[in-house]
Amino acid sequence: MMLEIKNLHVTVDGKEILKGLSLSVNAGEMHAIMGPNGSGKSTLSYALAGRDGYEITNGRILYNGEDLTAMKPEERAAKGIFLAMQYPVEIPGVTTMNFLKTALNAQRRARGESEYDAVTVLKRVREKAGLLKVSEEMLKRALNVGFSGGEKKRLEILQMALFEPSLAILDETDSGLDIDALKLVAEGVNALRSPERAMLVITHYQRLLDYVVPDRVHVLSAGRIVREGGKELAKELEAKGYEQIVKDAA
Amino acid sequence: MTMALPSLDARRAEAGEQFRALGVPHRRIEQWKYTDLRGALGDARIEDEGSASWNIENLPAGIELFDLSDAGAPEWVSRNLGATRDGAMDAASLAFARHGLALRIRHAISEPVRLELSGEGHLRVMVLLEKNANLTLIESGSAADFRNVGTEFMLEEGAALSHVHVTPGSHEAVQVETISVYLRRNALYRAHFANFGAKLSRADVHVKLEGEGARAELSGVSVLPNGHADVTTHVEHAVGDTKSTQLFKYVAGGKSRAVYQGKITVADGANGSDSRQTAKGLLLEDRAEIDLKPELEILADDVKCAHGAAVGDLDAESLFYLRTRGISEREARALLMRAFLEDAVAQIEGEDSRAEIWRAVEAALAKADAA
Repeated sequence: MMLEIKNLHVTVDGKEILKGLSLSVNAGEMHAIMGPNGSGKSTLSYALAGRDGYEITNGRILYNGEDLTAMKPEERAAKGIFLAMQYPVEIPGVTTMNFLKTALNAQRRARGESEYDAVTVLKRVREKAGLLKVSEEMLKRALNVGFSGGEKKRLEILQMALFEPSLAILDETDSGLDIDALKLVAEGVNALRSPERAMLVITHYQRLLDYVVPDRVHVLSAGRIVREGGKELAKELEAKGYEQIVKDAA
Repeated sequence: MTMALPSLDARRAEAGEQFRALGVPHRRIEQWKYTDLRGALGDARIEDEGSASWNIENLPAGIELFDLSDAGAPEWVSRNLGATRDGAMDAASLAFARHGLALRIRHAISEPVRLELSGEGHLRVMVLLEKNANLTLIESGSAADFRNVGTEFMLEEGAALSHVHVTPGSHEAVQVETISVYLRRNALYRAHFANFGAKLSRADVHVKLEGEGARAELSGVSVLPNGHADVTTHVEHAVGDTKSTQLFKYVAGGKSRAVYQGKITVADGANGSDSRQTAKGLLLEDRAEIDLKPELEILADDVKCAHGAAVGDLDAESLFYLRTRGISEREARALLMRAFLEDAVAQIEGEDSRAEIWRAVEAALAKADAA
């Protein structure tokens, strides 16, 4: 089992958001977590990535059998966990290329691997950039500064391709994308599916799942998984709406 | 038009009286509110000329130098030195300094001049750039106690001076410098003030744009592991079609205090003046303090003036983002601090100077963020 979340309770600012969430994902699988606003989707992604202030009061997160709970975000990254964020931050003063090099080498260092020189990083970035239509010009700009919503999300997926994580969490990667950008991102995600890699796709809407087809779908409501099913559950959700599905599950 | 000036000795005597009338500035004087010089000096006798001295390792060819401790000042020195006064400390340096230097530049000098100041007491510096002359001046040097420098830059038509001013970190130094810059038509003054925290330090920069097309581009970074840094600028647009920018960034750690006061004056009738000022501070510790004070005085109608000031912490969202990418907290903080300072350091002309300042900035950042 690559990811095993057992009875997870997470409190933010003194308020319990996740209330006993359990979930298992095997290597090679893609799972979708769907839920309405306020159900705890982003809290789950932040708790998995180890954000300060997301306090685990009960339960465990196991990653390849190892307890993540006390691990720093950077340690999780070095171990192969990647979070594609809903709102990637803009950092003026740091070029995108320099950021990619710094991050890639920080992960390599933490794993005891040798650092890549600038030429090697550039070569690897270029290999991945084509499919995602990330231009040389974007790489020279300050990180995410002046990027459109689509460009930001494409850069998130480029990072996923570059870092080659074993567990990728995509938090609302479809939000704010027009249909062309959505297809491009979906193509990028599909290209990274592999038997060694697990993916967790967190989304409010079903439309991304038309292009990125999950093995399992989980419905999150009020901090718990209330229903699970195959890919057809996403369609059912789309047809009935969250309210009805949650009511049926109760 | 040459105005008859009193002799240099008479000017010095007059400056002494002026200083005694004004006294050492203290925090109840508005412009010295955040920099209590009197408090820092205590009972020290400040009228002593002291041991302050200067050194230029390699003076590039084509520059005329006059040592102010020598007798027989040439006409270009006696005509200009201390012709106007800029406050109590400028008056004190004119009155009490017996050492200092005057430079006269008549052409474009490509090699930078490195001016190293040392010792305590008073010093006087004067640089005259004649028509279309061009110079890069890198000024630095710490002090073990009180040093007061009065500096005058005179830029004739089309002249350009690139000035890099470094105040190295020090626990003991009380460093005050008054820099008066006069710009004629189409002259350009670019200056960068890098400050790494003294017991007390104040750079008082007064720029007078006196000819059309004159420009001043002022920038600075202060990175304070501790101590105090005050850069106070006053840009006067005396005539129209003049331009100025001010970009200052501060990082304050420990129990430091960082100060930027930026005054812009646009004189009556100086239409077409264009001035932009930005000052930003990053507080690393609750005990640190950053005071940013923009001040505008606009008497003309048709001007462009923009200013902004803000103080904040390192952005938690950005830190988390970088850490999820595998970058350690320490490295992520350093990256964000560097990024914060980037545009101000980028103002420095010359790759070597920039690299030198970056090295000093990085060392100071590591100390400031060590807590």
